[in-house]
Amino acid sequence: MMTMTANAPSENPRGFPCRKLFFLTKLTAILLVCLCLQVHATGNAQEKINLKLRETTLKHLLNEVEKQTMYRFVYHTGTLPDDRKIDINVTNADLAQVLAKAFAGLPLNYRLQEDNLVVIFSTDKTSADKASPERKVSGKVTGANDTPLSGVSVLVSGTGIGTTTNASGDYSLQVPDDAKTLDFSLVGYLGQKISINDQLVINVTMQTTATSLGEVVVTGYTNYTRNKSASAAITVGSDKINDVPVATFDQALQGRVAGLTVSAVSGQPGTSSRVILRGIGSIGGNNNVLYVMDGVPIESDFFQSINPGDIESITVLKDASAKAIYGSRGSNGVIVITTKKGKAGKLSLEYRSQYGVSTLTSTKFDMMNSAQRKMFEEGIGQETGAEAGPFWTYSKLNPDYATMTAAQKQRADDITDSLLGVNTDWRDLFMRDGSFMEQQISASGGNQNIRFYTSLNYFDQQGVVKVSGMKRYTLKNNLDFSYGKFAANINLNIGYSNSTLIQNEGGSGGQNPLSAVYYALPYEYPYAPDGKLVTTGDGTLYPTLDLREGSDSYERMLNSSKKQDQLKSILGMSLSYTLAKGLVAKTRLGVDYRDLTSEDWINADSYAGTRVTPGRLGSFGESITRRTSLVSTSGLTYNNIFAEDHELEVTGLFEYLNNKTRAFGYTGYGLDSRLPQTPAAIGAPSTYTPTLTGRRTQNSMASWIGLLRYTYNDKYTLNASYRYDGSSTLPEVNRWHGFYSAGLSWEAKKESFLENVDAISNLRFRASYGTTASPFPGDFTYLPTYTQTSYGGVSAIAPAQPGNPNYDWEYGSELNIGFDLGLFKNRVRLTAEYYNRVTSNLFINQPLSATSGFGSLNISSGEMRNRGVEFDLQGDIIKTKDLVWTLGGNMAYNKNEVLDLGGANEFEFQYTGIIRVGLPYGAHYAPKWAGVNPDNGDPQYYTPDGQITTTYNAATLSVTDFGTYIPLITGGINTSLTWKDFSFNALFVFNAIVNRYNNEDYFNENPSFITSNQSTRLLYDRWQKPGDNSILPRINAPRNYTSRDIQDASYIRLRNINLGYNVPKSVIDKWKFINGIQINLQAQNLLTWTKWRGFDPENGNEYARFSYPAPRTYVVGLNVNF
Amino acid sequence: MRKINNFYKSLTLGISVVALGVVSCNKQIDLLPTDTIDPSKAFKTVKDINAGLLGAYNKLNYYSNVFYTSRITDEVMLPSENSTGSGVATYRWQYDGSFVHDAWPDNYIAIDRANRVLAVVDDIEAKPAEVVLKDQYKGELLAIRAYCHFELIRNFAEKYEAGKMGVPYMEVSEVGSPERLSFEAVMVKINADLVAAKALIPASFDDRTRITRNAVSAIQARVALYEKNWDNAITYASEAITAVALASRTDFPKIWKDQTNNEVLWKLKRVASDPETPLGNLYTQAGFLTNPAGSRIYYAASNELTNLFDQANDIRFSSYIIIDPQRKADGKIPNAVIKYTGGDAANPNRVDIKLFRSGEMYLIRSEAYAEKNDLVSAATSLNSLRRTRISGYVDQAFATKDALITALQTERFKELAFEGHRHYDLRRWNLPITRNPDDAVNALGAVLLTPDKAQYVFPIPNSELKANKNIKQNPGY
Repeated sequence: MMTMTANAPSENPRGFPCRKLFFLTKLTAILLVCLCLQVHATGNAQEKINLKLRETTLKHLLNEVEKQTMYRFVYHTGTLPDDRKIDINVTNADLAQVLAKAFAGLPLNYRLQEDNLVVIFSTDKTSADKASPERKVSGKVTGANDTPLSGVSVLVSGTGIGTTTNASGDYSLQVPDDAKTLDFSLVGYLGQKISINDQLVINVTMQTTATSLGEVVVTGYTNYTRNKSASAAITVGSDKINDVPVATFDQALQGRVAGLTVSAVSGQPGTSSRVILRGIGSIGGNNNVLYVMDGVPIESDFFQSINPGDIESITVLKDASAKAIYGSRGSNGVIVITTKKGKAGKLSLEYRSQYGVSTLTSTKFDMMNSAQRKMFEEGIGQETGAEAGPFWTYSKLNPDYATMTAAQKQRADDITDSLLGVNTDWRDLFMRDGSFMEQQISASGGNQNIRFYTSLNYFDQQGVVKVSGMKRYTLKNNLDFSYGKFAANINLNIGYSNSTLIQNEGGSGGQNPLSAVYYALPYEYPYAPDGKLVTTGDGTLYPTLDLREGSDSYERMLNSSKKQDQLKSILGMSLSYTLAKGLVAKTRLGVDYRDLTSEDWINADSYAGTRVTPGRLGSFGESITRRTSLVSTSGLTYNNIFAEDHELEVTGLFEYLNNKTRAFGYTGYGLDSRLPQTPAAIGAPSTYTPTLTGRRTQNSMASWIGLLRYTYNDKYTLNASYRYDGSSTLPEVNRWHGFYSAGLSWEAKKESFLENVDAISNLRFRASYGTTASPFPGDFTYLPTYTQTSYGGVSAIAPAQPGNPNYDWEYGSELNIGFDLGLFKNRVRLTAEYYNRVTSNLFINQPLSATSGFGSLNISSGEMRNRGVEFDLQGDIIKTKDLVWTLGGNMAYNKNEVLDLGGANEFEFQYTGIIRVGLPYGAHYAPKWAGVNPDNGDPQYYTPDGQITTTYNAATLSVTDFGTYIPLITGGINTSLTWKDFSFNALFVFNAIVNRYNNEDYFNENPSFITSNQSTRLLYDRWQKPGDNSILPRINAPRNYTSRDIQDASYIRLRNINLGYNVPKSVIDKWKFINGIQINLQAQNLLTWTKWRGFDPENGNEYARFSYPAPRTYVVGLNVNF
Repeated sequence: MRKINNFYKSLTLGISVVALGVVSCNKQIDLLPTDTIDPSKAFKTVKDINAGLLGAYNKLNYYSNVFYTSRITDEVMLPSENSTGSGVATYRWQYDGSFVHDAWPDNYIAIDRANRVLAVVDDIEAKPAEVVLKDQYKGELLAIRAYCHFELIRNFAEKYEAGKMGVPYMEVSEVGSPERLSFEAVMVKINADLVAAKALIPASFDDRTRITRNAVSAIQARVALYEKNWDNAITYASEAITAVALASRTDFPKIWKDQTNNEVLWKLKRVASDPETPLGNLYTQAGFLTNPAGSRIYYAASNELTNLFDQANDIRFSSYIIIDPQRKADGKIPNAVIKYTGGDAANPNRVDIKLFRSGEMYLIRSEAYAEKNDLVSAATSLNSLRRTRISGYVDQAFATKDALITALQTERFKELAFEGHRHYDLRRWNLPITRNPDDAVNALGAVLLTPDKAQYVFPIPNSELKANKNIKQNPGY
């Protein structure tokens, strides 16, 4: 640290900063050492000062001292005389010597306070305004549960006089007599302005910025206080994220932010959710939200290795004035994640432990049991003669029965009886109650120079389907360093996760345990009486009458594995240096590295293994993907206040981003069964030809960024940005493009006509407009290219993609208007937004005639609009000392419409949809079901003009009356109740006006699959005889896709309830080293109200096809603070 | 110097540091792909032509022809043990709106690949030693184009008659919305391409996994059969027969195990690493023969077909079908199709796909003679084939054309069973698809499909109708 005692400033004006740069690099090395050592340094400056100045002002002199030392000077405006010129020449002097010389002959004195703060005050008693008598104000600042808050900045409003709280939350401050108010602020907490009046002790309790009225809008490039930002941004605090028993943080955002739709695509532990902000903005392009963690953009869909417990807050940037800062990457919204940072004060340790169990959510399961199956098979047999199963083969109703001998008849009856005696619930075999466990220990602390946060986390969740689960180990280390004008941050996140997945998730085949649960026959049981697991392959040795469909799938599940090992490391390093007052140079380097190893194994020594060709002896495959994303951002920020009322902040940045992916994989066959789950088992390549794959690709982007904020009188703020982006993913002619945004914010409460209206405690309006864009997904899609292929084992080439030399960016523009309203001392808080977002030059995957040799061509032409409103209302219904009850909710309504398709009128889209001008994205397109003809059981359909027909023709009958799979309305309702040491929280989430294609019904009510188990509707509700008013047609009618399969997927779900208990201080005080103990009980997905017939309405896909349902999880947790 | 304001000094410095970083970064966004080939580099040498040509071979898909022909006709029956649902709707003559016969996209993709190479082939310089080779490649490309269009017209033509809707004929690679040409217009173009191809492919070229000159003759013979040009059919079938003789009874089973190329005029080579589902999986689980009682039969040989064979003496029966006694004893369907179970124990069910054999050429020639009322020549061809296949066969004489044609129809059913012909043959003859009651247990009543029904002809996929406004659907859909 002594290197900081710098030599005398050189005469050469350039010399000084250069040496500082060298100093920065040195410091980096020191920081890295600190990272390992966790030095708990103390800040007690004993520095020597060298000064040689002529005709300088006192202000400049103090600035020079600040540059050389850790001292910081505070003084009242006007205290220092501007006209006084001083000469000074000292070497190795200490502060007292320097100031004695500087103040010689002036009515000035100073006081050295803790944390190297030097307060300069006038001693001129005759001057009223310069020499207000001071008095000492002290107090304690606490957060939730009376925990002391350290590092809180306490400032006399409108002056530079201030201090920070120490580790026990205490502060004391010399306050000029004329001071009226004190400002208390801390990142992550709502700032407070407290009137001093005649008080000498002011204690303050601060609230976290968990509400939509949060204090700071973190955009990743800038931090603006909310009253100086025109952004529609919502911050979710750590209390909503840290304790929720989910593997990835995105799931914890569900229902918290109006306009943010988070739906679990799969309930498999560790799977990322589908996150959409303000509707789908692109058809063929990118719809992913951009995630930025501590300034480093991170990959979406790979959050398994990030510990939600390390997150301090998540800010969702919704409007163009915030998104446009990200130019071509932010068009679908930006989620800025801020991780926990160390706070100055004494070392704080926290231990968190959670244990729980996950179970299947829905018990809705209307497949046939054995008795129903008997009725069904006999019914089908009588109606059509088809052999749906042994209940017909051996049925008394079968015409063959009459031709049997008495002995044969007896045998047939015995078979029927014994089959009826078996009633397997396949859920018991494939599924389980999975255990859940999480352990975390974290430490934080530091002083004003170095602050650290470190955590270790272990997470282990078993899935509700046997074999599936995830284990995660994470290490987080945040180190903040500040020293005078220099500040740095090193942010390290290392996560290793190990997931075990089910085979073929979402597939309709028997390898998917979740489809087998439906298909498997109730009179089938996998084990023979001797304990052998009987498969199809056992044939005559273990004769069975059923199809062994469930057993084959079960055997496969037990003899195969699908694993993913992920190593993820996110490293961020930022340096900033104050070049001059208000002028800060910043540079940041971020690396997001992912190494994903996927492994697939099928046991050679199993029936499933014999089904593998080539080799018929199982298979082992492994693939390794490495993705490295590097971002570097550098630039300058200038911030100053002119003439008291004009606050200006200007930032200029250059950013470079590069993503590299390389992958390699193989699958080997002919395994030696004695070597399970290893490539060493692979048979000789000459006999069992292995397959090899691999690829590498990259993209990069360069950007110039300019940001501006101007605030007048703390009331009116202008935010503006310009960004000029170049992307490697576009053809050279269209490679560079500029984006801009502008926003206005108005603090109406500060106007004189509202200042004295007590009912309104806060009123703020904002409006913004801006442009964004996204480049084409895929690295080189614009090029027509050829790729390697082969014929008969000889290499060949074939066209890979048609290319399009005219690709341009996909442009977005967005208007946002909103307001924040606080009533009755902010006990009622309302935020509302209206937006209109138009995507033009829309990327469309236009289907082509097969004669072109390609299925589709990506074109950029077309227009789509998302328009909507969002509300967030929170209220403290009861607020007394012992009882606090808050209730809140948020709701978003988004209407999407395709405005133009670049000439084409419409095209079929995805599975059941259509993209048509005038309709919303995701509109279902199907022939309209007209029920069953009661006379003959024919399936009937409506023609588009309303006639009933029995001739199915998807091309001519399909209409679009069935809504979309993107919910029109989404939202959440939250409530919390605190009574003494108890707290209770609940969160409901809902989706309304949404329809999905139930593909499970397609398979479970289908004559093509009558030998597999079917829904009870196919037994009870199918047409059997004239006059039947049935839901399903006769069994021998074609099973066509119609509006019958499109079903209401609206739901309301009790996402999370949490009951907490803080062990009272009186109990804890017995153990000196413990500061707090909290015990909580949680349930995730406890209740769901829905009409949906499948496993889970939530899964955000267009269709539901045997996907993994989100589990219900019960957790008990313990938090101990030391 | 000292008077320079500190602020501006610092600002200048900051900007210059940033600018320094920028200079090197700007070039970084000029990236080129590493994993794909630039079109300008794709075709430069004769060797590249071959690579592009093999790319077209790569896309030839006969799997779906065999699949749908079997499902829609009386070749197979659906056993209850097939719970895959695969092809069941087709077997019951039910199509939902999403039905796509892969022959539609796949053949056009192969045509496009061929057309892209044909567009540059004349511009590529050949060394003297490569001139013949270049011609051969061009010939193969033209033949592939003709063959793929023929596959399309077999599957999707409204009828095999002049004036009926055929398919679009693609002679250049382009994005467009072409109309369906008439059946005869397509046949004219197919014939023209074949004639051109034949002139370019040297007789010495004898790789039967590719299109040889003899293979072109075979294609021409089949094309002539469909357009009822009996003279051409006789000429081209005879050319093929002269060049490639029938396999002996000893060799015949080896054809199906890929142990001989005898009798094979053209086959698609398949190797273990190919991603396509093995052809044999259409009928049984892989490895069926090693454990018949412990394997599934997805589609069994129909009783109708099984009973047509002289099971003891006809080498075709034992090469195509097995009646497994254990399965019979277990009460399971015993008639398994084993034509494609292959000879490689490690990779069962994956075999080369035989597209043209001399056996078919005998039947084409015989049918053409019969249609020309040359009953003697017709009977000679038919008897030659039967004599080679059936042990102890005694030549038969046919009194009438009808009797001969009926015999030929049965013979084609047996000879070309499971090779993707039955459906098109019935369409050529304008005969209904019928199923015996014992083959229709799980057909849910699908026992008679007459040519006037829409389902008798495959529909043009809906996706094509949506993307191409000029295309017309087959009648009835």
